[in-house]
Amino acid sequence: MKFISIAKKDFKELIRDRRGLAMILLFPMFFMLVFGFAFGGMGQNNQPNMIAVVNYDTGATLPGTGEQVNFGNNLTKVLEDSTYPDSDVNLFNVTKTTETDADEKLKTRDVDAELIIPPNFSQSVVALITNTIQQQTTINPSPNVTSTIIIRGDTSYIGFGVSQGILTGVLGQYQDKLMSEIRNAVTGSPGVEVDTYLQSKVESIPGTGSFTTFDFMAPGMIVFAILLLTTTVAATLTREVEKGTLARLKLSKMTSFDLLFGGLIPWSLIAAAQVIILLTVAVLIGFHWQGGLYSLLLAILVGIIGGVASISLGMIIAAFARNDRQAANLGTLISVPTSFLVGAFFPLPQVVIANFWGQPFQVYDLLPWTHILNALRSTLTFGGGWDTIVYQVGWAVLLTTILFIIGVGLFSKNRLRAEN
Amino acid sequence: MAGNIVIEAREVTRDFGDFRAVDNLNLKIKKGEVFGFLGPNGAGKTTSINMMVGLLRPTSGQIFIDGEGVEKIEKGTIGICPQELVLWDFLTCKESLMLMGDMYQVPPEELKVRVQKLLDDLFLQDKANTVVAQLSGGMKRRLNLAMAVVHQPDIVVLDEPSEGLDPQSRRVLWNYIRSMRDDEGKTVILTTHLMDEADRLSDRIAIIDHGKLLRLDTPSNLKKEIGEGDVVEMKLSNPDKNLEVINILEDMPDVHSVVEIEDGLNVRALDAVGKLPQIIDLVETTGVHVLDLSVRQNTLEDVFIDLTGTGLRE
Repeated sequence: MKFISIAKKDFKELIRDRRGLAMILLFPMFFMLVFGFAFGGMGQNNQPNMIAVVNYDTGATLPGTGEQVNFGNNLTKVLEDSTYPDSDVNLFNVTKTTETDADEKLKTRDVDAELIIPPNFSQSVVALITNTIQQQTTINPSPNVTSTIIIRGDTSYIGFGVSQGILTGVLGQYQDKLMSEIRNAVTGSPGVEVDTYLQSKVESIPGTGSFTTFDFMAPGMIVFAILLLTTTVAATLTREVEKGTLARLKLSKMTSFDLLFGGLIPWSLIAAAQVIILLTVAVLIGFHWQGGLYSLLLAILVGIIGGVASISLGMIIAAFARNDRQAANLGTLISVPTSFLVGAFFPLPQVVIANFWGQPFQVYDLLPWTHILNALRSTLTFGGGWDTIVYQVGWAVLLTTILFIIGVGLFSKNRLRAEN
Repeated sequence: MAGNIVIEAREVTRDFGDFRAVDNLNLKIKKGEVFGFLGPNGAGKTTSINMMVGLLRPTSGQIFIDGEGVEKIEKGTIGICPQELVLWDFLTCKESLMLMGDMYQVPPEELKVRVQKLLDDLFLQDKANTVVAQLSGGMKRRLNLAMAVVHQPDIVVLDEPSEGLDPQSRRVLWNYIRSMRDDEGKTVILTTHLMDEADRLSDRIAIIDHGKLLRLDTPSNLKKEIGEGDVVEMKLSNPDKNLEVINILEDMPDVHSVVEIEDGLNVRALDAVGKLPQIIDLVETTGVHVLDLSVRQNTLEDVFIDLTGTGLRE
């Protein structure tokens, strides 16, 4: 049982190299902390959106009463006073300013969006009122006056995306309310309210209502952290080649399987420790998950399988890398794009290549980490039990085994035979 | 005689791209001898050894161990102590030896006894449970050797084992090398830069340079072959005249060689003491005089310099 001796040796080396061990174990902690704080509040807490309002409205005179009005000021007030539903938190934090200053604030991201009210805004509202009255009293309508409100901002900035969406909604409501008020003033009745008949409502998957962006991203983060284990394993194994200790072992009766399977055992323990640290840190900084402790235990099991897959990939890289620096670079070069390919950060387009047991098999499903991620999401995000993840776990185990066999074969061929 | 040969290199050549590291090497190593491998840096010693132990494939030619191709020999026949310290920094001395024993499938009980003996023989007993990272350079060297022999191989290859050792540690090592040959009947292949080490330990010495075998014989025969007698070492008042003096002295009868070493001249000649007045007279004919002069016996280093020259190697 030479692999046991190798496992003991690797374990002792890992444990006794305190600095190296701390790096390996602290990395997932910092990693999860950074992502947790970055995305932890996103999507859960209502916060005012920073907007700048540039009001060019010159005002207008109301027909009949002769009253001077400025609907630009009125709209600005509406924006200032609007709050989130069932909350006293304002929708917007409004800065009234000039266009130049607003543009500058956009560039420095002091504001998320800029709203420009045109000079003829009040005139167009007055024209709307006049025409509505004339329609109701069958007098020929006056000429139309059109004004355009501009919402300006950096379209690549997520803050602008959110603000402009809310602004568009508020402006739509402002128009509807305005029309309703005018009709009410003319006929004494607001007419039929549209939302009496047609309503819309956004519903979340059970249990996920209070989830933040971080809660949805956490499984992907775990997979990304696990994938980076590839780099550490590849560098460590290549160091064995570089230092010459592998040449020593090569002359002995040790086989490639002994070396790699022996190495797999302590590295799997490291993977388990990493997954536990990742989950613990995530929970401590407010990670919401479903399914209680059972889900967490399932997630640890799934994470370890993912770790073994990463270790196997590291072994494949170590079969080719010339030195530990090259192994680390190659590991990063492979593991980072792989994390994108398995959908750790963004959803991927559907590319179905086959069907197994009625389930579509996509091109990304050739990678074990895709199944790891799916299983983690099933259990942590949606609270699924073993029966819901068994299909994904099965694939992950099969693909990991294949990866390990390839690793043993390549390492044996490239590293344990006499050099050519 | 054939049964006495344990390693045979037959027309072995090894190229690395355009560079020929070993060029048509032919040699036979006898069972139970300490075989010295001498050569300047980059001469091809380590490459030759790596091919002999099966770590590197020759570009052409064959290596035989006990009459069988090196690629077919049973693992464990050879133990190699590499030039570099090849150790696991975070294992203790005892753990390192136990691990290597396990890798060679030495039975556990026997392994414990062997490890104990090696720790005693190489004066590492006090450090048995100390991690390698905390050992001194000399201790690491001794452990490096112990790990090569824990499985009791028939052939032990020592690639510059004394590198960086103090005289005390070197003496421990030399005694151990002798005991491997004398008490255990092992064949030891020794590469070294230390002429003294090669001279004292080796039964036969191969001198290799530019990948080619230049000489193979016993130390005493090599010294005789290159030149019996003494070496006169001298420094002249004007080193710029060294070349002129060399040309004059080389024409003297019974002078085997005159070489320039570090601004001085080494004159190897029979009955050098008797020839000293004549040598000094000839030197002074060039307009310089002798600043410093000494006479000593011919050494293996003189043979080595004579064969490989004084030019620096990479």
